[in-house]
Amino acid sequence: MALTKKPRRKPKSNPQLTLGPVLFNWSAEKWRDFYFRIADEAPVDTVCVGEVVCLKRWPFFEPFVAEVVERLESAGKEVVRSTLSLIMDARDLDSVRAISVDESHFVEVNDVAALTLLAGRPFATGPMVNVYNEGTLDFLERRGAKRISLPVELPRASLAALARQSKAELEVQVYGRLPLAISVRCFHARAHGLHKDGCQYVCGEDADGMPLTTLDGTAFLRVNGTQALSDTYGNLVCELDELRAMGIHRFRLSPQNVDMIAVAQAFRDVLAGSREPEAALGDLARLAPGISFSNGFFHGVEGVSGVGPLASAE
Amino acid sequence: MNGRGAGRDRLVPPLSPVLFLGMALRHVPLPVYQLPLALAMRAVRRRHGSVFERLGDLGETVFVIDPVDLPFRFLLRASATNPSLRAIAKDEYVDAKASVRGPLKSLIDLLEGRIDGDSLFFSRELVMDGDTEAVVALSNAVEGAEIDVARDLLAPLGPLSGPAARVVARARRTARRIAADLETARGATIAPAMGRAETLAARLEALDQRVSDMERGGKRRGGVRNVKAP
Amino acid sequence: MSKPLELVCPAGTPTSLRAAVEAGADTVYLGFRDSTNARNFPGLNFNRRELEDGIAHAHDRGVKVLVAVNTYPEAGDPGPWHRAVDDAAAFGADAVILADIGLADYARRTHPGLRLHLSVQASASSAESIAFYHREFGIKRVVLPRVLTIAEIAAINRTVPVETEVFVFGAMGIMAEGRCVLSSYVTGQSPNTVGVCSPPSHVHYEEVGGRLVSKLGAFTIDVLEAEEPVGYPTLCKGRFVACGRTSHLFEDPTSLNAIDMLPELMDAGVTALKIEGRQRGRAYVSRVVGVFRRAVDAAARGEALPPDDLRALTEGQSETAGAYRRTWH
Repeated sequence: MALTKKPRRKPKSNPQLTLGPVLFNWSAEKWRDFYFRIADEAPVDTVCVGEVVCLKRWPFFEPFVAEVVERLESAGKEVVRSTLSLIMDARDLDSVRAISVDESHFVEVNDVAALTLLAGRPFATGPMVNVYNEGTLDFLERRGAKRISLPVELPRASLAALARQSKAELEVQVYGRLPLAISVRCFHARAHGLHKDGCQYVCGEDADGMPLTTLDGTAFLRVNGTQALSDTYGNLVCELDELRAMGIHRFRLSPQNVDMIAVAQAFRDVLAGSREPEAALGDLARLAPGISFSNGFFHGVEGVSGVGPLASAE
Repeated sequence: MNGRGAGRDRLVPPLSPVLFLGMALRHVPLPVYQLPLALAMRAVRRRHGSVFERLGDLGETVFVIDPVDLPFRFLLRASATNPSLRAIAKDEYVDAKASVRGPLKSLIDLLEGRIDGDSLFFSRELVMDGDTEAVVALSNAVEGAEIDVARDLLAPLGPLSGPAARVVARARRTARRIAADLETARGATIAPAMGRAETLAARLEALDQRVSDMERGGKRRGGVRNVKAP
Repeated sequence: MSKPLELVCPAGTPTSLRAAVEAGADTVYLGFRDSTNARNFPGLNFNRRELEDGIAHAHDRGVKVLVAVNTYPEAGDPGPWHRAVDDAAAFGADAVILADIGLADYARRTHPGLRLHLSVQASASSAESIAFYHREFGIKRVVLPRVLTIAEIAAINRTVPVETEVFVFGAMGIMAEGRCVLSSYVTGQSPNTVGVCSPPSHVHYEEVGGRLVSKLGAFTIDVLEAEEPVGYPTLCKGRFVACGRTSHLFEDPTSLNAIDMLPELMDAGVTALKIEGRQRGRAYVSRVVGVFRRAVDAAARGEALPPDDLRALTEGQSETAGAYRRTWH
């Protein structure tokens, strides 16, 4: 393939890796140990910590937050505090308030409501905040946005246009299931014939989301409580060069139930120029057996599609 | 047609005056219809230019409109510059982008905006086949046009169109009355069977519910992890 | 007698606009025939001249017109969205309905006198979120997401100095609106930027073994037996398999009908009621608007609501109270 032969571009700016928040309802111990390992071993620069899907899960994780944050920071990693992606009531808002009183960390806004609480101080926005164009980018920058993780569906033309304009640091998710939708209704509970209020935390049964297939048996989505994720893992390992050429230097890995240390290493190696993207793609496929990768959104087609090297990697 | 069908052969013509009309028309040769249809089309273009403007994005598109209770179909060539409408035989092969099939009365009601297209699709009174975008565009375009079939068909008759329209209006009223009578007769004929079917359906539903409750009960005891209260 | 709630009605075409006005709408909402509005179905919506004429027709009869410019401008090409706002203002629209922060900022700076409403596509589901849009852009009214209970709506109305408009009839969004890329994942067309969810260009029906299979892109959305009512294959109304069971996991193919809740919505401090359905025809508009006109007036007089069955007009032919009752969650 032509791409593999090309001399690799010298990085203009130091590329950064962000580990997104754990989206799934892992057991609290698994959650803590995951972050401990990330702190000790993962070659990432930034780690997002916080519940973004369902506030009902948070009481289980909360007792471990202080030690997780401390462990990550002593390992030299920047910690970003993530917040809920659908804020409805006072309790939801209180959860953001509780996080934002601590001014020593960047807060990642995932619902516009949180902006009200962060007025006048620097903040980050997550991929569920709709930053589709220069107008919105410019407005949020004026209000203090320093880092913006862009919506997963943006095609390359939009990413390039935003990168030309941005003063804030832009981030693009390059690995993991794509967050496709969020609802007030809990689909996990509904699948088990339960109501959200008496959900018995059934989302905890599916560490990588509950598979949802079509009536003809095609894998389609993963249900994660009130969230719908793609069945495919988004994977832009072969697009990293192009993203950097646009001026995007921060890349998000969304934690899956696989060896995320090795995943981070694969991306780090490609960013450092020490491994070819196609070779890394092979490594990533071996790390997530049975998983299909997609990069369609980047290429302006169906998000589920695998284009270029992904098409042949199937 | 591309051969994909939304229940194409399932649609049974309803018992209606049109069905009898259709039987009566079975022996009329197709060429007889072509001139009146061409004239009607010209009237529609003159009065409702917006229809073809709204269809503009599709480019030239061929539709088959198939009244199940008439012995022929309509071929509509929608184009901004030269749209046409003609009658074709039920079995004539045409390379159409989409077709809409249903009782003539429903098709006319749809055309005149008296019935909501979506409602008809939901109830499966109309069946579409082929390119869904084309059907949706056609339905939206005619919907926005306030077509009056009697007026637009009769317009070409010039001074005669007034009296003719009155005849058509009377025929319509008569048809509606006959349709109501037929509906009563149909109801009387099949009511006992429908009653039995509904009882059966209700029992099936209750059984379904019980089975799924039992399955769920089994799963609950087996699968869910024990959790602390939040 | 209390003040009747404002009845805000859909107009997908000039014909529907006239039908809505005739049937007793206080206000109609509509959009330009392009990707600047969230009902960008083929053959639908208004060209410039139709929109200008439509506003004149409505204003002559004392009816207000709201122009929805409620998709998200594409990076690198904000022109069509800016023009939509400019033209709506020039034609005398009573307000524009916006979702995008950048576009709201543009409208505020370019047309300071133009009344701004916040679209449901902005998914402002809390008082703080609404307060943000009010403070930053002077939003006068918010169309509330269809995820709030009546108690939550009342709480918002007590807190925020912004009028609220709520959906009372029509198709229901299951996911937070404007934040769902399911359709985009399957079709490559973003509802947020192109303005159409589950676009008909990607819908196919196939007959397999006597059953009707509806597909969106490469994915089967539903399989229907001969006599089952057929719905448009909107992704989140589909039937899927999860946990070994087949179900409408996201939502049953039902439509919202909150007509029985008008008195509660009045008590909750709501200003306006919205009827969904710009993609539906004038028959739907006449019928639904007429029924709600009578109901709204009866509710204002404190009378019992007149009975009317709108079920034939609803998707899959069943109705739900949606999120207004917490049991829906």
